[in-house]
Amino acid sequence: MAETFPIYIWINEERLAKLQQAGLADKAVEAFAGLKRLEVHANEAQKDELLKRFPGSKCDLSTTRSIELLPRAFKDKLFAKVLEMRRLDPEVVDAALKNA
Amino acid sequence: MAKKKATRKAPAARAKKRAAAKVDNSLSPHGGKLVNRVIEDREKARKLASKAKIELPIRDQHAREIVSMAYGFFSPLDGFMKEADVANICKKMTLASGYVWSIPIVFDLSDEEIKSMGIKEGDTLLLKYQNQPFATLDVEEIYSFDKKLMAVSVYGTDEEKHPGVKRTYQYKDKFLGGRITLINPPRINPPFDKFWYPPAQSREKFKELGWKRAVAHQTRNVPHTGHEWLMKGAWFEAQSDVNPDECGVLVNCVVGEKRKGDYIDEAIVLSHAALGENNYFKQGTHMVSILLWDMRYAGPKEAVFHAIVRKNMGCTHHMFGRDHAGVGDYYAKYAAHEIFSKIPNLGIKSVLTLEWWYCPTCGEVTYEGLCGHKPQKFSGSVLRSILLDGVKPTRLVMRPEVFDTVMMAADKYGFGNPFVDDKYLAQRNEVMTVPPMEV
Repeated sequence: MAETFPIYIWINEERLAKLQQAGLADKAVEAFAGLKRLEVHANEAQKDELLKRFPGSKCDLSTTRSIELLPRAFKDKLFAKVLEMRRLDPEVVDAALKNA
Repeated sequence: MAKKKATRKAPAARAKKRAAAKVDNSLSPHGGKLVNRVIEDREKARKLASKAKIELPIRDQHAREIVSMAYGFFSPLDGFMKEADVANICKKMTLASGYVWSIPIVFDLSDEEIKSMGIKEGDTLLLKYQNQPFATLDVEEIYSFDKKLMAVSVYGTDEEKHPGVKRTYQYKDKFLGGRITLINPPRINPPFDKFWYPPAQSREKFKELGWKRAVAHQTRNVPHTGHEWLMKGAWFEAQSDVNPDECGVLVNCVVGEKRKGDYIDEAIVLSHAALGENNYFKQGTHMVSILLWDMRYAGPKEAVFHAIVRKNMGCTHHMFGRDHAGVGDYYAKYAAHEIFSKIPNLGIKSVLTLEWWYCPTCGEVTYEGLCGHKPQKFSGSVLRSILLDGVKPTRLVMRPEVFDTVMMAADKYGFGNPFVDDKYLAQRNEVMTVPPMEV
């Protein structure tokens, strides 16, 4: 199966309230003894597109293989798409990229 | 690089080559003597400056390198490199003298500038920074060098997206080699001033603290607990043959050119200091300092450079973790571990560490080499993403005092942002200020 690259959306109180409202709170997984995050998966092409579109971002190849340092505004869009589409796969990344 | 006609080596050249092969790389400081090219006496400085007939404004990178050379961080370098040094670095990672050195320190200038200012070998230039007389450069050699060769030799790639390669390609077409003298020492501004320990001072400070072992931690990051445990693990190793009070950790923060999205320099130095101030390290076992240097991201080659600089500061050990000074996927995860077995003993012991990670089963930050559970890995980038998302990390991955210090630094120095942005780049406080000087 082709590798996918996680984008972690870290959950603050505001995001948690929205997740609960949408009945999606169980999609958030626990990390680091008390934090919560959504793990949205981007495919290789999307990873490349994200890194190109947001030059400050990076794929943390040596540790987590996750896409990090995406701007807050894009993460907010991605989060909104997760709420709307109720999924965490590359489809939701595509939708967020179209709107970014 | 200019091709030279093949000739039989003169006896002097052969003798120099033999001497180069015999140098003792384990000497501390590197080369055996701490370089000091700083003139504190204003009269003497003025006299020296008045001899220079050509004035030349310099950019930030060169100013930082001049300060670092003048105070001995880069010993045995006492000036910008000549062609033979750069050629030797590219060929065998040594200076022409034979001492190990991995990164060219060069002063570039365009042909047009050289011609229009009439610069020639034998001249002394008055280098100006922040519109003030700053240093002199004795032009011993003007040369050109193949920048692609320099890039490939140092960085292992010719791709311009590598920031070190990009910097190399941006150098102008000529290089000036020769000795520098800092005639107008800059004032290091708060909050950096209390972390300014040139090698002579850091060595004195180690003595004062009673350190027989000092282990260096290279950083350009705010510390998360993984970093903290890397430092503590390295301390355990360095401390093994002395009393606990005779061993300490020197955190050496690289302060130089910033990229958007980096932590602001003030957050880095102050948050590292917060670890000691809040007793995560016992008083007297932890010291924070700065190095004026623009990261080259040369991976293993930069690790060698870091080892030399920290040896010059008096360190006996240097910690090298995963992906030391790397960028993207240009270098293997542990390339910086391997390089030290391929070069002569530098007289500073490498402490090679793997990853520290959070293990939900152990319920703690633990070590890759010991924990057999499924970990949750984290890195500086992951922590930065957490902060970018407006979330406070848990104390297991970032100490609350570190987080609070980062946020305080953001308010006080970063216009509300702990990360470098356009406003910070345009309006940040200068790290150093060159005082007014009449010549």
